[in-house]
Amino acid sequence: MNQTRLRLSIIGVVVITVFSAMFARLWYLQIAQGSEYVAQAQSNSYRTVQEPPLRGRILDAKGRVLADSRIANVITIDRGLEPGQRKIVVGRLAELLAVPSKTLEARLADQRASLYASVPVAIDVPIEALTFVSEHSDDFPGVNAEPMAIRRYPNAALAAHLLGYTGEINAVELEAQPASAKYGLGEDIGKEGIEFTYESMLRGTPGKEEFQVDASGNVIRSVRRVAPKVGHDVQLTIDLDIQSVAEAALEEGMASARTRRDITRADKFINLKAGAGSVVVIDVTDGSVVALASNPTFDPNEFINGIPTVRWKALNDPVNNYPLLNRAIAGQYAPASTFKLVTAVAGLRSGMITANSTVEDTGKYKISDQTFTNSNSEPFGRISLERAIAVSSDVYFYTIGGSLWSKQRRNESGGDVIQETARLFGFGRATGIALPNEAAGRVPDAAWKQRIHEARPDAFPYPDWLPGDNVQLAVGQGDALATPLQIAMAYQALASGGRLSTPRLASSVLNSKGRITQTNPGVDAGRVPVPARDTMLAGFAGVVRSSAGTAYGAFALYPQQPPAVGGKTGTAQVGGKQNTSLFVGFSPIQNPRYVVAVVVEEGGYGAETAAPIARAIFEALNGLPVGPVSSLAYAGGN
Amino acid sequence: MAAIPVPTVMSRRKARFQSSPFRHLDPFLIIPVLIMNMLSLLMIYSSTRGKSTLRGEAAYGDPFYYVKRQAMFVFLGLIIMAVTILVDYRRLRDWALGIYLLTVAMLAFVLTPLGSSVNGSQARFALGPFAIQPSEFAKFSVILMAAAYAAVHRGDIDVRRVLVVLGIATVPLGLVMLQPDLGTALVIGTIIIAILGVSGVKARHLAVLALIGVTGAVVAVNVGALEQYQVDRLTAFLDQNGDMQKSTYNLEQSKTAIGNGGLTGQGLFKGTQTSLGHVPEQHTDFIFTAVGEELGFVGASMLLALFGMIVWRSWRTASVSNDFFGALLCVGVVAMFSFQVFENIGMTMGIMPITGIPLPFMSYGGSSAFVSFACVGLVVNVSMRRFS
Repeated sequence: MNQTRLRLSIIGVVVITVFSAMFARLWYLQIAQGSEYVAQAQSNSYRTVQEPPLRGRILDAKGRVLADSRIANVITIDRGLEPGQRKIVVGRLAELLAVPSKTLEARLADQRASLYASVPVAIDVPIEALTFVSEHSDDFPGVNAEPMAIRRYPNAALAAHLLGYTGEINAVELEAQPASAKYGLGEDIGKEGIEFTYESMLRGTPGKEEFQVDASGNVIRSVRRVAPKVGHDVQLTIDLDIQSVAEAALEEGMASARTRRDITRADKFINLKAGAGSVVVIDVTDGSVVALASNPTFDPNEFINGIPTVRWKALNDPVNNYPLLNRAIAGQYAPASTFKLVTAVAGLRSGMITANSTVEDTGKYKISDQTFTNSNSEPFGRISLERAIAVSSDVYFYTIGGSLWSKQRRNESGGDVIQETARLFGFGRATGIALPNEAAGRVPDAAWKQRIHEARPDAFPYPDWLPGDNVQLAVGQGDALATPLQIAMAYQALASGGRLSTPRLASSVLNSKGRITQTNPGVDAGRVPVPARDTMLAGFAGVVRSSAGTAYGAFALYPQQPPAVGGKTGTAQVGGKQNTSLFVGFSPIQNPRYVVAVVVEEGGYGAETAAPIARAIFEALNGLPVGPVSSLAYAGGN
Repeated sequence: MAAIPVPTVMSRRKARFQSSPFRHLDPFLIIPVLIMNMLSLLMIYSSTRGKSTLRGEAAYGDPFYYVKRQAMFVFLGLIIMAVTILVDYRRLRDWALGIYLLTVAMLAFVLTPLGSSVNGSQARFALGPFAIQPSEFAKFSVILMAAAYAAVHRGDIDVRRVLVVLGIATVPLGLVMLQPDLGTALVIGTIIIAILGVSGVKARHLAVLALIGVTGAVVAVNVGALEQYQVDRLTAFLDQNGDMQKSTYNLEQSKTAIGNGGLTGQGLFKGTQTSLGHVPEQHTDFIFTAVGEELGFVGASMLLALFGMIVWRSWRTASVSNDFFGALLCVGVVAMFSFQVFENIGMTMGIMPITGIPLPFMSYGGSSAFVSFACVGLVVNVSMRRFS
């Protein structure tokens, strides 16, 4: 019996141990670790659905709408629908909406639509169709009718490069955004232009709705909802009217150029190609961008809800001259004679020339064993700086370039004053305009030449900065590259009397009530020396007003004579291509208000294609009637 | 003439009660059982009412579907308990072999096409809307049969008789494993070890048995006698931070529900994990999670205390029983309840492997309820007849 008692006691001890273990574990789970499990229980049974906010508008300087969003009735189909069922549903929808089921299938199959969200297959559906779908939901499984914010660019292609476009956020963009931005899959994000740079302002604050869900994810009830906040409006410095004129003039000028012969080709009868061009209009006072155009262009509305693949391919096809490329900020060209501004300032700074000193222009310039000539080897005789600018004498500037090269050769200081001046005027680095993908251009010098030789000795066999390099640079040829915007800003610096601005594109940000929440004043990028400014202004005025001026003919039809416009033509030789046609000008001549730069690829001489385009824009800027942009039959002279 | 006191009706009744075993009816066994069954009905309601909104569920359209059925099981269970109390347990000894053989026959038949398979386990006879699980009754039969045999041979349990006792357990245990129902097999094993231990088997025989048992378990796991899912479930609790496979998913949900209860619980019918159906099989094997979430540490501890009470009274009955058969019966019941409670609650808290064992008096299910009531009835029976 004693043994039985002992063994019963052992069982008792085991039982007590077991119950103590359970009690301890219970305490651990519910008290010690309780808060952790409470948190887990929360995340287990609540789901948050994010509501994208309505995107803010983009306005022009006068408050006119360049981009906004509207609410459209959209029919969506779930991606997860089983194929057989999908076929039936698509068939019924096609019948209801009177569209071919092929169209709906194509939208469903579009790989760019989100894998997670349902696919919008029909936008702006009539209300009757919406009601029908809602009332017969059993016949339309996976089909939803919902309101959806759709980005709208009411002026179609106008200012397309500037505005950019929005599209569904992709994995890379999602990664790049900070987690605090809380972008949801399928949400739209600015991809290009202002839509891209001002994304954080335009987007607004997403709302969210928290649901309680059961174990299979079915929604039990809505716990709370925070409404999304409409994004801010961004007001640009762009003037819609000037922008329209600039784009129309560019288009017209290019079309006209294509009807004319490339006169540099005496051997063959070939028309100018004039396939692409760009325009920049700057307000001298604060560097505001009044217009920024690039051609060929595109309609950003095409990107809404995913651009069809065939259109995307067309927009990236070299045959179409890459319409998506914003040439005003990303096109890099030899600045040609427009660069003479820099060379003149460099010559004056180094004391090589003065406002009144003269150079004998025989039409030819010899240095070492190389000879450089004026356009058509035309001799201009003994000329001053003012006249050299007006008639676009190359020899005058070759002389400056050559002399400075000799200085470098002798290891004297100041031999690279052209490069130094060019950098002061903003060449060789991005201007900092509020747009993505701006190009930096290039100011070539001895160090650069050494560098590219070392990197690719086979492609660049000469490591030395040769006299020809400096002479070419003096007239903006050779290896110099600049964007149209950089050229415009350099002249803005001259026109303002030495204040180089950073291009200003967005003037203010407004909240949804129209109150200004952020103003962007003009920002100076630096000061530039402008010695003998009056002489130079007179020279640039002569380009337009003097009968010997290169742009005299282009402005012959200007409604106001003599035109209150100064400027400079440029004709850049490009290997394997027709000449680039450039013109940069300002108006009025004293205390200029506006700078206009025009560049047309394969547009021939600066005076024949770019200058007439600029003329039309100056007419608009000065409130004059805008004449037709038929470019001139031009005989020569750059 | 002295008046002869005439016994009044009252006093006669009183006298009869004085000699009746019901005078010794143990309220500390009955009351916890009644409380637990009421709690069980509340918890089953809490964890199943959500099913009424799910098309395809048996309870679709009726949030009280499971509660009503369980209430009926409890009512039948109370009758079964009354019967097991009323019949003198010593007469049960004579019936033990019959009951045992009947159970074994049922266990054999359930494996034939007569039985039906649910969740991959061939464990029940379907009777219209109800089902009978013979494996539950096997626990009762094994207690009865083993206790009867060991009591007869008290003090003379040699190796041969040890083997007979083991055989009594092994036949139903093997049949249960064929279903397969690992949980019930473990319960039967625990019962037989406890009865053997108390019946007077020599200590060294017990040691050898333990050695064989451990070796057998290791071999079973490694040789593939167990299905992979059984091994997974058995070992999932050892690696609870492993990836969320099905086996650890159940455990995570279960622990989350219990942990969500905190000190005082989310409140009756207010547990989110419970009402939203996050815990699988919550009204059956995982009913403790509903108690843990909705009634918290306070409520769950009280439930543990109620189980403790039943086990303690059963253990005490074993010590004070006036015959060895009664004592062994109680030992079997102690082993059965202790193991089932520990295994079931332990698995929901992640300290025991997951096996399908119901929590006595709490889990939804008829067969389990009947056997639990019968076992408590047995102990009450032994307890109140300890003086007769």
